[in-house]
Amino acid sequence: MPPHRGPLARTLVDELERQGVSHVVGIPDNASAALFRLLAEPVSIELLTVTREGEAFAVASGLWLGGAKPLVLIQNTGLLESGDALRGTAVRMGVPLVCLVTYRGYAKLPPNQSDGVMTRADVDSVAVVTEPTLDAWRVPYELYRSDADISRVQRAFERANELSRPVALLLTQALC
Amino acid sequence: MLTKQELLDPLARVRTDEVVITSMGVVRPWGRLSDSDLDFASADSAMGHTADLALGVAMAQPSRRVICLNGDGGMLMSLGTLATIVESGVDNLILFVIVNRTYEITGNQPVPGAMALDFAAMARAAGFAKVHHFDEADAYESALDGILHDKLKGPTFVSVSVAPESEGPISRSASEDARYLQTSLYDWSRRFKKALIESS
Repeated sequence: MPPHRGPLARTLVDELERQGVSHVVGIPDNASAALFRLLAEPVSIELLTVTREGEAFAVASGLWLGGAKPLVLIQNTGLLESGDALRGTAVRMGVPLVCLVTYRGYAKLPPNQSDGVMTRADVDSVAVVTEPTLDAWRVPYELYRSDADISRVQRAFERANELSRPVALLLTQALC
Repeated sequence: MLTKQELLDPLARVRTDEVVITSMGVVRPWGRLSDSDLDFASADSAMGHTADLALGVAMAQPSRRVICLNGDGGMLMSLGTLATIVESGVDNLILFVIVNRTYEITGNQPVPGAMALDFAAMARAAGFAKVHHFDEADAYESALDGILHDKLKGPTFVSVSVAPESEGPISRSASEDARYLQTSLYDWSRRFKKALIESS
């Protein structure tokens, strides 16, 4: 059996360049580290690392105001931290912004999420609340599970433009 | 300590085609002085995220000077943005922090550390290339034109001690005097973006 392998960071960078992304704004985690490494090399996309995830949405909204095409790249824990920044900037301003969110805990999401699920040691509680939070914030999303899902990147940009609001792609395993 | 008028009147006089992004207690007063489509009120938005929004505009428009009029309460909510601004390498952002040591919009409750905080020292420690502090109107007014048109590289930080006033909650409605508050954040974002891009 071949070793399990996550989606390729290179495939994603190539697609982001093809989509005309000008800036990636975010904070790295283990799942996105390969993408940050590639973006630190000479590519057409400018990388800005911020100090807190909420900042990423405000910076990205400002970039859009100035005519750029940013992408936000954060972990789902940081997505939760971003609540009011996302609502008050990108959502309220109607910024057609794509957010690539690494989905920590996805692999261990239990099918039966009983009342005690948030305190179970075998469950990463951030995964339990990620999709319900996006639903509550009215941010449409799709999963990005492998290179076979690369067309979802273009679809996310198209959807963000159609809706004039942020759209998320949830990356379910680490990039390599 | 300056009054808000002593802070804003000279700025309105020397401002030409710079973007001006306002927050909290100066949103209305600036909107009474200026009617430019290159003004942007970070109002009905997310408190604490004005400086980072301005950073994004500055990054996207490197040949345009971007003036951000932030409050001290808002700046305290995202002090990390000082580091992000320096890290970004922008040299066209002029970040004002209006130090009135209170949350003015909600009734002038003191901000944490109100009497001890030194924002200019924080900016210097974060690596800002140019840092100024003013607590006297004449010195501020005579330096302002030079600050706005300084050719030195690197972001600029200006802290100004301003007396607390009594600006109440800000709305976005036809009842507001300032034109940039008379429409939604969504609509003004598009007007501002169009004006900025068409004039670049």
